[in-house]
Amino acid sequence: MSVQATEYRGSIHQQQKELMLQWYAALDRAAGNAAEQPVVSMMVSGNCVELLEGFGAVPLYPEVNALQLAIRHQSLDPILLAEELGYAADNCAYVKADIGAYLKGITPAGGRLPKPTLVLCNFVGCNTYLKWFEHTADLTGAPLYVLDVPFLRSEEPGEADIAYVVRQLKEVVARLESLTGRKFDYDRFQQATAYSAESEGLWSGIKHLAQRSPSPFDAYFDAITLMGPLYVYRARSEGVQFFRDALRELEQKPVSAEDEKFRLVVEGPPPYPYFRAFRDMFARWKACAVASTYSTVGGLWEFGFRHDPEKPFESVARHMLAQNVTNRNYLQRYEQIGHYLRAWDADGLIIHFVKSCRLFSAGQGDMREYFSRMGVPTLYIESDLEDPRYFSEAQTRNRLDAFFESLEHMKRTGARRMPLAAPQPSPLRVL
Amino acid sequence: MKIAAGVDVGSTQTKAVLLGTNGETAMLARALTDTGANVRAAAEAAFGELCRTAGIAHSDVAFIVGTGYGRYNISFGNAQMTEITCHARGAHFLCPGARTVIDMGGQDSKAISVGANGEVLDFVMNDKCAAGTGRFLANAAEVMGIGLDQVGPLSLKAAYPVKIATVCTVFVESDILSYLAQGRKPEDILGGVHLAIAKRTVSLARRVPIEPKIAMTGGVARNCGMVAALEKVLGASVHVSREAHFAGALGAALFALERTDESFESAVWRGEHAGRSRN
Ligand code: SF4
Repeated sequence: MSVQATEYRGSIHQQQKELMLQWYAALDRAAGNAAEQPVVSMMVSGNCVELLEGFGAVPLYPEVNALQLAIRHQSLDPILLAEELGYAADNCAYVKADIGAYLKGITPAGGRLPKPTLVLCNFVGCNTYLKWFEHTADLTGAPLYVLDVPFLRSEEPGEADIAYVVRQLKEVVARLESLTGRKFDYDRFQQATAYSAESEGLWSGIKHLAQRSPSPFDAYFDAITLMGPLYVYRARSEGVQFFRDALRELEQKPVSAEDEKFRLVVEGPPPYPYFRAFRDMFARWKACAVASTYSTVGGLWEFGFRHDPEKPFESVARHMLAQNVTNRNYLQRYEQIGHYLRAWDADGLIIHFVKSCRLFSAGQGDMREYFSRMGVPTLYIESDLEDPRYFSEAQTRNRLDAFFESLEHMKRTGARRMPLAAPQPSPLRVL
Repeated sequence: MKIAAGVDVGSTQTKAVLLGTNGETAMLARALTDTGANVRAAAEAAFGELCRTAGIAHSDVAFIVGTGYGRYNISFGNAQMTEITCHARGAHFLCPGARTVIDMGGQDSKAISVGANGEVLDFVMNDKCAAGTGRFLANAAEVMGIGLDQVGPLSLKAAYPVKIATVCTVFVESDILSYLAQGRKPEDILGGVHLAIAKRTVSLARRVPIEPKIAMTGGVARNCGMVAALEKVLGASVHVSREAHFAGALGAALFALERTDESFESAVWRGEHAGRSRN
């Protein structure tokens, strides 16, 4: 078998780079003049960037900084420093890299990172966030607000849950008004939700392009490139423009049947310290991720949810409560993956267990078993999203190669196609 | 006669198998050498030995498939495949009807669920930890000053196997030393070590459905104590071919043979080709 690494690089990659550099430049300016440019530190998961627009505030995402360090092979030193200070080996390495980098004064783009106006812990799903943001607030001396977003316990969030989150969002507004001395611009907030809705629709369109065969879009590796603008810019006109261009470019991207040999669903974030090597392991086999759960950490927009300018606060609350993969339960994640496998017509599932992330990786052994039993070729691999010490290139590649060899065999002999079309049995029902 | 070879460059040993077919497949030669630091040289040595034993020239070999961790270092190979795919294929050839393959090598152990024609349906492997592998056993043997070829037979004599709680290849040494200090018999300690490895391997293997027949492959398959311990923990019999150690190389050679002849390949996958090893 001849294998060749391929990677698509269109003009949207250049645009993405420029947008992200603009973001880092804004953060750098804010570091020089805090009064002019408010900054809110926040988590990617179910983030409420729309609310920030009401203050013209810029989001600061510690996860994005941490993963940028990892991609640039700069994560190990800060991790080691954090461990010297007492962070345990099994702490989430995002936290260690972020804290260590802060103490070492390392920033991903080389510019300065500001002291946040507010450390806003949008606590969705992951309890590591709480401690992480407490530490950030403590280190930087910035005020902390913990947004308590109840875990999704049913198909839809209840009215009480929504009201509870909306009340807190309004508290955040009041808090930011007193911290910035600015009045909250409700119209701008409303406009931001309108921009978001548009960006989200375009993003969803991009994700649905992967239903084509061959797919012009890799919903794991390419999606990651688009995720930066999605979290930073979706509530702004630049974001809408970017996603409009991206959708157009990808729609017109020429792809031939030979470019795609396998269609996969991927669960879990990538090993960022070895991002390129990992991507090449897929590309060598012409394997395309047609869907991924990781690309829904920020939001589950391909299933129809949009922010709503008619009900801006409520829609932000709904997004945080139910429309991101982190605040949803395991059975809902099974449903999501099962839906991808069917509607995106995938050949198999790859689960990447991330040592850092106990919360979302625990249970993936069962997940593997669940999908294997349904007849889905499923591969389970382990490493880390930030700590390079947990990635073994030879082992990972060996497993992926073996998985693709068996998929190739199945294709060649027509041995097995996923018997997934049948509706799922009752264990999937969420009470 | 069409001739093809498989070379399995493992972390500890390099195995090579030469197959010929004239309608019926026969093993013409096999070779075994320590991998050592020079992976490429080990592969060349093993392949050279194959040709010498069979009395053929290198150029007589129509196709060579490399497998094992060192597969990409084989300078003379025509194609590479993972040892997972090759072990399944080799085990199925040696033990027709095998549905589960437990492969224990020097640094990793794996369980493979195998389809009716020797194809991989599913597999699991140990991750970043040598517990449950040949290395764990080699460490234990070394601490006790007993040759690796004797630990298996000795472990079969265990009347009261000790409990080895650790799964760490390094810490097992201190466990063993403390049992020795307590005056426990070497066979009981070894019995415990074998059971510990077997339990770990079986718990790994349970993640793919364990279905009979179960075949064992890899270097550790030569250890009768390990086979017995696995059978005990599984509560089922484990088939071990005399060539089990060569299953990866054999699988690679079978794939290589297919590449020489497409009609042969499709016959194999239609289940119409019954191969037999010469031994
Ligand atoms: S534990 Fe997981 S979800 Fe939480 S911060 Fe770390 S990587 Fe993110």
